[in-house]
Amino acid sequence: MKNKSLSFWLFLTPTLVALALVVFIPVIEGLFYSFTDWDGLTFTKMVGFQNYITLFHDKAFINAFWFTVGFVIVTVIMLNVIGLGLALLVTQKFKGNNFLRTVFFMPNMIGGLILGFIWQFIFTQGFQALGNALHMDWLQNWLTNETTGFWGLVIVTVWQMSGYIMIIYIAYLQNIPNEIIEAAKIDGASAWQRFTKITFPMIAPAFTVCMFLTLSNGFKIYDQNLSLTNGGPYNSTQMLAMDIVNTAYNSANFSLSEAKAIVFFIIVAAISLLQVAYNRKREEDL
Amino acid sequence: MKKNFWKRLGKRVAVVALAAGATFMLAACSSSSNGSSSGKDVKITILQGKVENNKQFKQIAKDYEKSHPNVKIEVTSIGGGTQYDPVLKTRISSGNAPTIFSLAGPADVQQFKAHEADLSNTKAAKAAQPGTLDAVKSNGKTVGLPFNVEGYGLVYNKKVFEKAGIDPNSLTTMDSLEAAIKQLDSQKSELGIKGVFATPGKEAWVFSDHLANLYLAQDFNGNAQKLYKSKTMPFTKANDMKTMIDLEKDYSIKPIMQLDYSAQVNQYFSQGKAAMIQQGDWIYPTVEGIDKDFAKNDIGMIPIPVPGEEGKMPVGTSLYWAVNSQKSTQEQKAAKNFLDWMYTSKEGKKQVVNTLHFVPAYKGYDNFKMGDPLTSAVFEYSQAHKTTGWAFPGYTGTSWDPDVAQPNLQKYLSGKQSWDKTVQNMKDGWAKQQKSSNNK
Repeated sequence: MKNKSLSFWLFLTPTLVALALVVFIPVIEGLFYSFTDWDGLTFTKMVGFQNYITLFHDKAFINAFWFTVGFVIVTVIMLNVIGLGLALLVTQKFKGNNFLRTVFFMPNMIGGLILGFIWQFIFTQGFQALGNALHMDWLQNWLTNETTGFWGLVIVTVWQMSGYIMIIYIAYLQNIPNEIIEAAKIDGASAWQRFTKITFPMIAPAFTVCMFLTLSNGFKIYDQNLSLTNGGPYNSTQMLAMDIVNTAYNSANFSLSEAKAIVFFIIVAAISLLQVAYNRKREEDL
Repeated sequence: MKKNFWKRLGKRVAVVALAAGATFMLAACSSSSNGSSSGKDVKITILQGKVENNKQFKQIAKDYEKSHPNVKIEVTSIGGGTQYDPVLKTRISSGNAPTIFSLAGPADVQQFKAHEADLSNTKAAKAAQPGTLDAVKSNGKTVGLPFNVEGYGLVYNKKVFEKAGIDPNSLTTMDSLEAAIKQLDSQKSELGIKGVFATPGKEAWVFSDHLANLYLAQDFNGNAQKLYKSKTMPFTKANDMKTMIDLEKDYSIKPIMQLDYSAQVNQYFSQGKAAMIQQGDWIYPTVEGIDKDFAKNDIGMIPIPVPGEEGKMPVGTSLYWAVNSQKSTQEQKAAKNFLDWMYTSKEGKKQVVNTLHFVPAYKGYDNFKMGDPLTSAVFEYSQAHKTTGWAFPGYTGTSWDPDVAQPNLQKYLSGKQSWDKTVQNMKDGWAKQQKSSNNK
């Protein structure tokens, strides 16, 4: 767009102003504070890269990082597999498929905080009672150690978000022209062949979108973490966002927290952009 | 044609936006001109951290306004230790600082140094009980006035103890306490309890703040300020702490790592499923909310017998009032007068005891009676001077508490780490923090 007329800028201004106020200025301010000894109120001196050096030696941060990475890998795979599975299921022609769509999407309408509390009850009370009745040890003592805390978080996130991912896949699935599928049927392609050779390539753009959503959501998750485990026990299920918040508000170390937030931003942005670029390229190849 | 349409629309939007902006600015101007004060009227704003008393403080402020017509008081309450500081910081940096605010301990005193007025000459400071101001002394000045005192120990179920034939007041040594716990545990089903304790492994502060204080405080004479400035954490009573934490861990309703505060207080203790819990007088309103008769008649509190300090209850202050030194002298004076009135005048004292249900941290309350069994216990111990100090506010505002003490104690409680390692990590963590901090 070459001729940037007055109206062009007029239309852009509200968004630009809003973005500047809530994104650009705070990010620049945060970047600045991460080089100081800011305590949330005042700062006395510039400390250079001291906060960045500290954070790479901060066991809690490193632990939160690897915990989050593990969580992202597992949830991205599960969300996309289950989301696509549900989408394929409800796009089949049978009675009640619209009803099922609503049901699968419903968990997404409940806020993350509330969901966390509901599932906390299920994990601690429901699983406990079930485990007692069935004499299954693995159902007991959920959320009391790192492993069950991790899988608890995965289950809640997948349960909540797969309906949302399903909707996106449904939209792309319905865009596949029926003629192609019918032609393939006539040519004798099996159901599996039709899926891998036609459906899958046709919905490649959906993958790009869903991967991006699940990736960035997985990294940024906070509310479920807060209400389900609150980082416990012994901070072992603390994810990156929570570690950053706690560094600022519990440990009153605002400048270190800013430095962590900047590193976090760079990691999430880099991974998300790489992923989008890669998938775009793959889309063209298919 | 299409381009024209966009141009016209653009112009229209611009006009509307301009008009809206102008109205907004006019509104902003007119509202700010209303705010100027006239005459001798003073307005003081209070931002305080005891959210559970929000209603009562507002009521007291209203009563004060009635008897002092030229003073206006606005009370805002923010809950929980972790949420208060950010709000106060925001209010200060946005130029909307309160006249009176609250401080949680030495770390806060250090953080808000630039805003703390000297309160040494107030009537309330002079009436404060010995030791209650130790944590808020800064360069020879007193910068805080205690809200109240609170105490904690073992809150027990009278009926269960009666049934088992144990007199809780006889449990003044670790040996007798241990014997009683074992007896209660062996009679669980007859007594109708699920466990002797309900120990909330999820609430790390129950151990890192209250329990650990019993065994850390003596190295600092119970003085939070001393602990805050100490380079080292001697933890000489670490082995005694192990005895107590093991009892709470082993004889509790399980799994302890699933229990939180509400499971401990609401679900188990208030419903008679646990013989005792390690908590303080602040749980009374919660217990009362579940079973009024039970709360009134069937509970009591005894101190945890710490070897060498038996029969003494840890009594201390969790919040202090501070007056903002950057406000006008008139406003500061009004704020000090209000605090003096609340804690030293006849009407004020009544409000403190009867409206707020506070155990007073000040002298001159001899004729008062506390309204419930838990605060009565704290009041009696403090009137009889059978108390030990709270040193833990010296570390609750530092990162050692959430980053070192709490995770390490939780690791011990879940059996992931030995006690020796836990103690060592806590000592090392403190030394490391103090080396890099500027707590002089």
